[in-house]
Amino acid sequence: MSPDNQIVFEDVSKFYGDVLGVNRVHLSIPPGITTLVGPNGSGKTTLMNLMTGLVRPTSGRVRILGMSPSEPERLFRVLGYCTQFDSFPKGLTGHDFLYTTLRLHGKGRAEAQQLTMKALERVSMTEAAGRRVASYSKGMRQRIKLAHAICHQPTVLVLDEPLNGLDPMARAEAIALFRALAGEGLHVIISSHILHEVDRISDQVVLLSNGYVVAEGQIQAVRGEMHQEHPLQILVRCTQPGLLAARLFAQDHVAEVKMHNDRQGLLVSTRDPDLFYELLNQMVLDGSVEVSSVAPADDDVHSVYEYLIGSEGGAA
Amino acid sequence: MAVYKRGYEGYQGQLTPEWSRFLVIARQAYRRVFDSKRMIAFLALSFVPVLVYAILIYLPHNAGALQIFNIRKLLSIDAGFFYHFINTQGFLAFVLTAFLGPGLISADLANNALPLYFCRPFSRTEYVLGKMSVLAILLSAITWIPGLLLFAFQSYLEGWTWFVQNMYIGSAIFVGSWIWIAVLSLLALAMSAWVKWKLAAGALIMASVFVTAGFGEAMSNMLHTDSGGLINILKDTDAVWFSLFRLDNSTGLSVESAVGMLVAVSGLCLYLLSRKIRAYEVERS
Amino acid sequence: MNAKLPWGLWWTQVLAIMRLEVKKNFARKRAIPVYLLAASPLALFVAHSIGFARGWNQCSGNEDLTMFARVFQVFVLRLAIFFSAVAVFMNLFRGEVLEKSLHYYFLAPVRREVLVVGKYLSALVVTCALFAVSTALSYLVLLSHLSQTQSRALAGPALAQLPAYLGVTVLACVGYGAVFLILGLLFRNPIFPTVGVLVWESILVFLPSILKKFSVIFYLESLCPVKAPFHGGGAMFAISADPTPAHLAVPGLLCLTAVVLVLASLYIRRMEIRYGTE
Repeated sequence: MSPDNQIVFEDVSKFYGDVLGVNRVHLSIPPGITTLVGPNGSGKTTLMNLMTGLVRPTSGRVRILGMSPSEPERLFRVLGYCTQFDSFPKGLTGHDFLYTTLRLHGKGRAEAQQLTMKALERVSMTEAAGRRVASYSKGMRQRIKLAHAICHQPTVLVLDEPLNGLDPMARAEAIALFRALAGEGLHVIISSHILHEVDRISDQVVLLSNGYVVAEGQIQAVRGEMHQEHPLQILVRCTQPGLLAARLFAQDHVAEVKMHNDRQGLLVSTRDPDLFYELLNQMVLDGSVEVSSVAPADDDVHSVYEYLIGSEGGAA
Repeated sequence: MAVYKRGYEGYQGQLTPEWSRFLVIARQAYRRVFDSKRMIAFLALSFVPVLVYAILIYLPHNAGALQIFNIRKLLSIDAGFFYHFINTQGFLAFVLTAFLGPGLISADLANNALPLYFCRPFSRTEYVLGKMSVLAILLSAITWIPGLLLFAFQSYLEGWTWFVQNMYIGSAIFVGSWIWIAVLSLLALAMSAWVKWKLAAGALIMASVFVTAGFGEAMSNMLHTDSGGLINILKDTDAVWFSLFRLDNSTGLSVESAVGMLVAVSGLCLYLLSRKIRAYEVERS
Repeated sequence: MNAKLPWGLWWTQVLAIMRLEVKKNFARKRAIPVYLLAASPLALFVAHSIGFARGWNQCSGNEDLTMFARVFQVFVLRLAIFFSAVAVFMNLFRGEVLEKSLHYYFLAPVRREVLVVGKYLSALVVTCALFAVSTALSYLVLLSHLSQTQSRALAGPALAQLPAYLGVTVLACVGYGAVFLILGLLFRNPIFPTVGVLVWESILVFLPSILKKFSVIFYLESLCPVKAPFHGGGAMFAISADPTPAHLAVPGLLCLTAVVLVLASLYIRRMEIRYGTE
């Protein structure tokens, strides 16, 4: 993929005085939804601020679709950033906030008005648009920030904890919006602590810990690289679990087999899932077991996070 | 039978006395104040005049110095001497207030921290007292405390008779300084709470002293009246100090009107504080 | 090369910034002190006129014109415009940092130089408008009551001095605005430097003429049509200096402003958003 269609970090480090923000980050982020995952202080926000030029790298280079963050006049035509700061210019209504932003983009009155209304509609804030932002609830402030990030129709959307403060309905709407935007070919970069939601929406993840990137890519691929240290757990619901267990114990790649409490299934830990699935297929074909379901038990973001960061990062 | 697990127990230990809790704010504030090198440098600078005045008190009592300069004739250590000392330290106290005062309440208002204070057993009065004590303690340290030490030093050198005859100077140093400290602290807190903007509050504190002085002067000249001086806080304080130090009042203001004006300014500041120091803020939509 | 520069876009953006700034900073209660400062000289001259009309005070034409010059130089320039500039220009960037809202500007496709110019112009236009109107009205009030005295012959020629007063008012906003814009950027708590500038400009009268040139007020007073000699305490120690001619003072102040804007732009270009350290 051309670097002009990617967000690229080349050996980027950022220090705040003596404090490490991120260190020696190499990343290439393609279109789709990419989630930055990591405990507090792991460098997620620093990475986002580096992308948007709010902070400058101590060393290394950041390119956003071939542009440098130090050229705001070019970059912010294509990039929208919903920051974590819960503060707004004083005295403005939600409508004024978006309209003025669009005027700053150089849009004419009519176009700015039209885009303002469109953005307000996308975040379901049309009715509250005439009220001052200072009188909004936390969820509304979060939504107006989202509207601010998308109002100029960017192709890169950077969202720092965008689901914070949203109620379940609004959360579902926001996730649907991110999916729709990613479907339109946008780069959507999200940081989040809410791992089960991250799992549902991400095309790829970047796991951060103490300022270092500890893993990146599609979650299954990341999990695949960890099979030697952390064998994949697969839950098999079947008849004759004892027979299946006996066959599995003979395999080198199988690290552990646990019988399910109801004796109707097994939890298998394997270092080579391909070999395991091959064996299972054979047994199904020769009729020795009847399988009702097979599902990996720990190839989600949560498990990867636990294995790679868990003990040092604490609960996310 | 239900099993009740009690994992949490309220604090059973001893509590600090209620009257002293406002000092928590001061302690917290000092930690930040003494983080600033500029602040420490300024405080150190504030003691230079004290040293100079101490030397000036000492010289007339030093035989060697007396032989070189006839200092007793050049300098008399009297009410005027201590008035000038309080005047010098008063200006430094003002600069210190303009530096420290603006951030005292505005930061809490800007960060919505007031509900955090008032959701505890902590009243609005205690909050204001706590914030005032931040300034009052520091300003005391550079005004009446060194002033009284100098007075004690002079009394020690001159003897008991001088002390008895000039006790009014000691009380003038103490009362005069506290009047200035109270006015400055209230003004700084009111401005800090009113504009909620640290820098604008700083400008406003300075403006409320210098601009009113300029405006008062212009008013007196243009309208051919002395009452212009009344709106000049510096002049009002000066009139009170002159009276306390039993010096000739050159301000053209009566002590009663000057005291009345200072009380009015303090009252206005307290009113502003009572309006702004609340656990909630109504934002008009 | 110049033909390629998007001047039209920059101008639109400057206007958008100005609109937003005026709404945020001047259409709110927090601007009341600045309005009061601008209105105070007018209040004085209105009171003076009323006093004259009621026979409370006597006037002579020359004295009144000198009095205006003194009020203008001592109160309007040294105090009212000075402190308005402190409150308005110093807060242009530092205030946004304290309120944690500067990042919204940094996230717009606006060159940071354009941002500096837009913010500076918004504050300049408002302060100039306020103080120019106040100065003009004060002067007109003075002249209108002068025309009712025996010195009415002076009113006509004195009117010709109004443009000079207005020009000095604008230059005061330009000069002090630039000084406090840069102080607000360079210092987290600019109170000490502000006190420094205030003290420096106050003691300037006692300083040698070479040092007087490192100030804003010296040039402004050089441009005033009527000189108001120093009468305060220690007048005997005052050192007089030749006023700087207008053809040097005006470009000098404008150059100072240009230099400050360039420095501010360089600073803002390198500025990072780190509110936590404030």
